[in-house]
Amino acid sequence: MSVHWPGHYHGAGDNLVRRLPATVKLGVALGLILVTVLLPPDQGMWYVAVAGLLFLEMIISRISVLFLAKRLLLLMPFVFGVVLVNALAPTGRVNWRVLAVKSSLCLLTVILAANTTPFSETLRVLKKIRVPALLTTTIALMHRYLFVLADEAERMRRARASRTFTPQRRFQWHALATVVGQLFVRASERAERIYDAMCARGWK
Amino acid sequence: MHIPDGFIDGKTAATAAVISFASVGLALRQVRRELPPRKVPLLGLSAAFLFAAQMVNFPVAGGTSGHLVGGALVAALLGPGAAVVVVTTVLIVQCFLFQDGGVLALGANIFNMAIVNSVAGYAIYRLVSRVLPGTRGRLTAIAFAGWSATVLAAICCAGQLAWSGTIAWSAAFPAMTVVHMLIGIGEGVISALVLLAVERARPDLLSAVQKDGGSGRVGGFLGYGLLAVLGIAIFIAPFACSWPDGLDSVAEKFGFVHKTLQPMLTAPVPDYQMPGIHWAVGATAVAGSVGTLIVFAGAMLLGRWLSSKTEKR
Amino acid sequence: MNAIEITDLKYRYHDGTEALRGVCFRALPGECIALLGANGSGKSTLLLHLNGLLPEKINGDGAVKIFGDAIAPDNLETIRREVGLVFQDPDDQLFCPTVAEDVAFGPQQLGLSEKEISTRVEKALAQVGLTGFEHRATHHLSHGEKRRACLAGVLACDPKILVLDEPTSDLDPRGRREFKAMLRTLPSTKIIATHDLEMAVELCARSIILDRGEIVADGRTMDLLSDEKLMLQHGLEKPHILHHLHPH
Repeated sequence: MSVHWPGHYHGAGDNLVRRLPATVKLGVALGLILVTVLLPPDQGMWYVAVAGLLFLEMIISRISVLFLAKRLLLLMPFVFGVVLVNALAPTGRVNWRVLAVKSSLCLLTVILAANTTPFSETLRVLKKIRVPALLTTTIALMHRYLFVLADEAERMRRARASRTFTPQRRFQWHALATVVGQLFVRASERAERIYDAMCARGWK
Repeated sequence: MHIPDGFIDGKTAATAAVISFASVGLALRQVRRELPPRKVPLLGLSAAFLFAAQMVNFPVAGGTSGHLVGGALVAALLGPGAAVVVVTTVLIVQCFLFQDGGVLALGANIFNMAIVNSVAGYAIYRLVSRVLPGTRGRLTAIAFAGWSATVLAAICCAGQLAWSGTIAWSAAFPAMTVVHMLIGIGEGVISALVLLAVERARPDLLSAVQKDGGSGRVGGFLGYGLLAVLGIAIFIAPFACSWPDGLDSVAEKFGFVHKTLQPMLTAPVPDYQMPGIHWAVGATAVAGSVGTLIVFAGAMLLGRWLSSKTEKR
Repeated sequence: MNAIEITDLKYRYHDGTEALRGVCFRALPGECIALLGANGSGKSTLLLHLNGLLPEKINGDGAVKIFGDAIAPDNLETIRREVGLVFQDPDDQLFCPTVAEDVAFGPQQLGLSEKEISTRVEKALAQVGLTGFEHRATHHLSHGEKRRACLAGVLACDPKILVLDEPTSDLDPRGRREFKAMLRTLPSTKIIATHDLEMAVELCARSIILDRGEIVADGRTMDLLSDEKLMLQHGLEKPHILHHLHPH
């Protein structure tokens, strides 16, 4: 599997949080986010309470602090940028501290929910809340073939790189050019084979 | 430009969510009606492609890894409805799997990147490719469409942030626009490269979309197309009124102001406070317009260069 | 009655190349036939015709008959129930998120009850030795496990004819041995396109050699594969396993 992006958290094993039904986990997460976002800024106690709950969840589900920190850091640049702008040029309506706290809490909530719920369960929840079949099928297929295509792209890039002897920058664009175009063509051919495979087992 | 939770307030998130919900619903209906069954898995695979293509990291202005939105590209290859569905899928998976983009902010993110990007990208692509014929025309069209759609989506994003009071329009607009005018170049170039690869290897894929369908096809597109315009009006228009103000400030700064021009330039000041410096907004608007022309010229050059590579073979 | 009856089958690709030029053969129920040929000889194309995936527009002209019925647009469902096709690339076939969901796909399309579906899934997974893999994510499986999961997905539909496109390519020696052992236990009619000549000798009494879209040989596996000249002529070779056997 490609090493480019951080995947699902592995290695936490079985625990109380994992065993909770996905609907509960996702529902609670959504509720927390909703209230956190809509709450007026002076409700300091609420933020502490949410932070406490998340901490508890983290402990029970045995997700490492390091992992959480790394994921937060990855997503922080945009947050950081906006918070900075707000701090330097206040709008008078939203305070930068509140911004930072709210977005961090919401981020942590989703990170924890996502890493204690297998994606196939999330899909099941989506189907249950009547998301149209065309959309859920597309989401399922995307998730299924994401890693396959990423691996293919990496292999093509590597193969390209091993036969390129020009300096860094130019080679990167050239490699990108070859790989990306080919990747889509291959993806479309695979899509047709998948269609055949689906029909072969009776899909209408 | 994935907006995380907490950056847009309740009203903005709700408005965007309602518009997105309706638009995606309409797009799904159109796709169900018009996409041949053979192409259905291609929706999922295109979504996987858009994401996997970003894994082949490309450097943009200072090392930040650029985000390929892809709405214009998919619209050119599969139609605007399919593009809406595909990019929505990408955003949902990015949100749940990689926590890129907030859950409540999903409505806004879908509006910007799935709807505006696809609709505007498609419209610009069809327009330009009708004016400039052949492979070269199509490549120019998609490069320009990809760029413009990205910039437009970024402006909508800025509008949403400003409406929520998170950051002022006068900071959001210049920042988002300038950054995405740069990122958009990558999007335009990549879109052109993919279109070229498809034309060479799978021309049959393109022909399906080139056929200008009957009223049914236009009808579907009209539905969410209008919703896109409505959303743009809600998120950008209130701030756009300040452009004349902004232009005025630019003019003043650079000493262009003429007594007779002044009355024409001053526009009614919006109700709420507009903190921050006006000239940044105006300067961005000017730079944006000039930039657009430059990019279009660049797109034409790209189109010519890429299509000549094809002919040589 | 013949399980499969192919008469003068022709097929051309989009770009005009002739992939199949008048292929004719028959298969009796229960037979295990190896389909051999160099790359590009038309093996995969032929297999795709067996359950109506090709030609793109089925015309019902009777070129392909399954248990006496010509493949036509109105009986595709029945044909696909009777002929189970295992694709060359397991990633193309395993398109569901988990193993259980993928194996259940076929039975679900057949409209069976929930109970019947889980029985079939359990049985199919047991047949391929993947019991306990129900909730594993398909993209996390090893190559060998993917191939077995694909076979399970097809077996769950209970087909009378099993068609496999290069089932043991990319498998390590143990994977190959296990897969061959599995195939041996299945009683259905089997058509196996393969480069694995040793598997052909071990499993298939009869072999067909395809070269540039035409059948150039059709007979007992031992006879065909021992004929070194014939094998080399059509881009193949005599397998080592036969070098050590006494000629009879």
